[in-house]
Amino acid sequence: MTRLASATAATAHQKEWFQQVRARAAAGEPLVLVNADAPQEVLRALDLPYVVNQWWASIVSAKRRADESLDVLRVQGYPDDSRQYDAIALGAMELPADGAPWGGLPRPSVVLAETSGDAQRKVFDLWGEHPDTEFFAFERSSATRVPDRWWELVPHRWEEAFGPARLDLMVAEIEELVQFLAQRTGRVLDRDRLAHVLDLVDEQAGWNRRTRDLVAAARPTPVAVADSIPAVMVPQWHRGTEWGRDAARRLYEEVAGLVDSGVAVCPDERVRLMWIGRGMWFDMDLYRRFQDSHGAVFVWSMYLAIAADGYVRAGGDPVRRLAARFAGFTDQLYTPPWSTDWYVKEARLHGVDGVVHLVADDVPASSFTTRGLEAAGIPVLEVRANNADPRAQDPEALTEAITGFLDTRVRPGSGR
Amino acid sequence: MGPADPAWWAQRYRTRGDDVGDRVAAGTPVVGVVGADVPVELVEAAGAVPVRLTGDPGPPSAEARHVLGAAVDAPTLTLLTRLLGGSAAGLAGLVVSRDCQSSLAMFYALRELRRLDPWRGLPPVHLLDLLHLPRASTTAYDTAEVLRLADVLTGWTGRAPLGPDAPAGALADALRPARALRERLLLVQQRRRAAEPTVTGSLALHVHGVVSTVPAAEAVELLDALLAADLPALSAGRRVFLTGSVQDHDAHYAALEDAGWHVAGEDHDRGDLALTVQVPAEPTAGALALARQRRGPASPTASVPDRAAWTTAEAARCGAHVVLSLVRAHDEAPGWDVPAQRRALAACGVPLVTLVGQPHRTAPADLLAALAAPAVAA
Repeated sequence: MTRLASATAATAHQKEWFQQVRARAAAGEPLVLVNADAPQEVLRALDLPYVVNQWWASIVSAKRRADESLDVLRVQGYPDDSRQYDAIALGAMELPADGAPWGGLPRPSVVLAETSGDAQRKVFDLWGEHPDTEFFAFERSSATRVPDRWWELVPHRWEEAFGPARLDLMVAEIEELVQFLAQRTGRVLDRDRLAHVLDLVDEQAGWNRRTRDLVAAARPTPVAVADSIPAVMVPQWHRGTEWGRDAARRLYEEVAGLVDSGVAVCPDERVRLMWIGRGMWFDMDLYRRFQDSHGAVFVWSMYLAIAADGYVRAGGDPVRRLAARFAGFTDQLYTPPWSTDWYVKEARLHGVDGVVHLVADDVPASSFTTRGLEAAGIPVLEVRANNADPRAQDPEALTEAITGFLDTRVRPGSGR
Repeated sequence: MGPADPAWWAQRYRTRGDDVGDRVAAGTPVVGVVGADVPVELVEAAGAVPVRLTGDPGPPSAEARHVLGAAVDAPTLTLLTRLLGGSAAGLAGLVVSRDCQSSLAMFYALRELRRLDPWRGLPPVHLLDLLHLPRASTTAYDTAEVLRLADVLTGWTGRAPLGPDAPAGALADALRPARALRERLLLVQQRRRAAEPTVTGSLALHVHGVVSTVPAAEAVELLDALLAADLPALSAGRRVFLTGSVQDHDAHYAALEDAGWHVAGEDHDRGDLALTVQVPAEPTAGALALARQRRGPASPTASVPDRAAWTTAEAARCGAHVVLSLVRAHDEAPGWDVPAQRRALAACGVPLVTLVGQPHRTAPADLLAALAAPAVAA
């Protein structure tokens, strides 16, 4: 088992960075909490410290404080069976400061999120009930277009992929956000600076793409999903910085070195598996659990793959280019047939023999992902779970289900 | 029995939308409507009858559960059950508005099923993505969406509802009966909320349900007959206001009324929330878009404070003694509204009782037990 130096370095950097964020907030700078699918690069260009909601939820979960955080909301009368992943950070604000994960998140001055689903904006409305916090909402427009092979279209022909109406809407909202933040922080957007930030994001995505291609082609797989997720995702939270780009390059170089020296996560690799859905933050060992018993290795998660295919938006006005990154971002992962076609493409690229598909409540029409993969001859195990709520899943039952899937439905080597 | 009789509306409610085949056979295109945000005036201007669709009364099929997943609000599952069972046959098309996540999920499912399974014979399906933040950029987006719908309807019916190719005054002609219909629905609402009400909550629900499945001019005639009737005043019962999930059947209303409650109002769009959609004066796409963008706060598209303020104000207008929040399992939004609603109502001296995680049909005993809570009795 190889622990990636990139992952270790990224995690160390993240802890150091978070303490800097806490220090800046303590010194009176405004802190922004931003949902992952909102255009945070504006904040980067304004040099406003920000924390991504989902990242913080993953830290709270990894520290096994998610239950308590959700209990806080339940006691206040809010649902604890809805939007857990979005709501953990909100509940965690009420945890005792003593022993809070990483010292705790300072109270944000502004929260940014889209009106996805039926209830996401409600969670952010509740952040806005605090007198020191304001909520800025983005619309979440829906995919009405069905472009073929979006991953080839979005880097340069993004206007065609998402359509002018969706981009016009988000451009106007970003401009309004810029005004909103200028009024509250006095910071004015330098559009050249924003263009530079976006260039750095594209460069980072370029390194992720090279890494993804390396991992897809390598036999046996050189890097564990549990390692690649932090090694990719921590730099993703720093998109638009030199550190983020360089961290992605270092990951590529490290993976290339592992491939050259023949390192294997599981030397006896017989089955290559794909994990579709969000990470199982409370049980990351799950990804390694079937290596000894079945020679089964998870070789794919969406985190590296979407970092490779989902972010590049080259050319054009920087605000519109940023709008193009976010207006349809979730469609790439969750809207059929955008999502379905991409998962099949990735499954083939990585030569997987089977797929474990974590079906989340808030993902529409997941059955088409399963159907598309099975139509391509790839067996799929659907698991209904909430990735951030340990109460919603019995680890032993999940292990048993995957074991049964490997024993009865997956033919080793069939994906090669 | 005719439309002057509440029993006629009850009967018609149970079979609403079942006459699609007859209309199609008579040469009138019918467009199926899913959700609350479709500007039905535009559909009528295109020469079609808009019929708001409702699911089967029974449990959803295994196929619908498989396609959408089990964690989807029951009315959407039962509607998909009905559509996959063949009820979409004959429709010129299906317009799905993104009024909630389950409607959006159903659109993607239907679009995929139509592409992958042509043997199903599903009609063409169109997503109308109307959004609701109170900003000019949203109005512009919504206007573009209405124009896109106009193009789609032109393709389905052969008659443009808007623009240079439309018959003169097509949309204005459709707005006129829509305006008349809204005026009559407001009269129904007045009689339901009056000090001595003559309209029950069930009758109001039946009226809303029936008029959303017939042409507006026909609905006006039906309502004129009802409004001309000399209906007896209800016996003085305690008044309950319903919030929470949209009610797509009348069982809860009937159970409450059987126990002596007057369901004086609700804030869902198959009831009085539908009246918050203004019929625009101007026959333009922008005006239609704005009317939907600014409609009253439905739980899945409104903020927590807007929703709490609306529920409280409407409950007061209805003279409600209590507000019952009835929230189905997998209907995510209303549960998040509850604490703010409770606080706002308490400030006005109105208790809120809740039943969350409910099935499609809550047992009458559970409804009545919730309303027997000490806070309500006090």
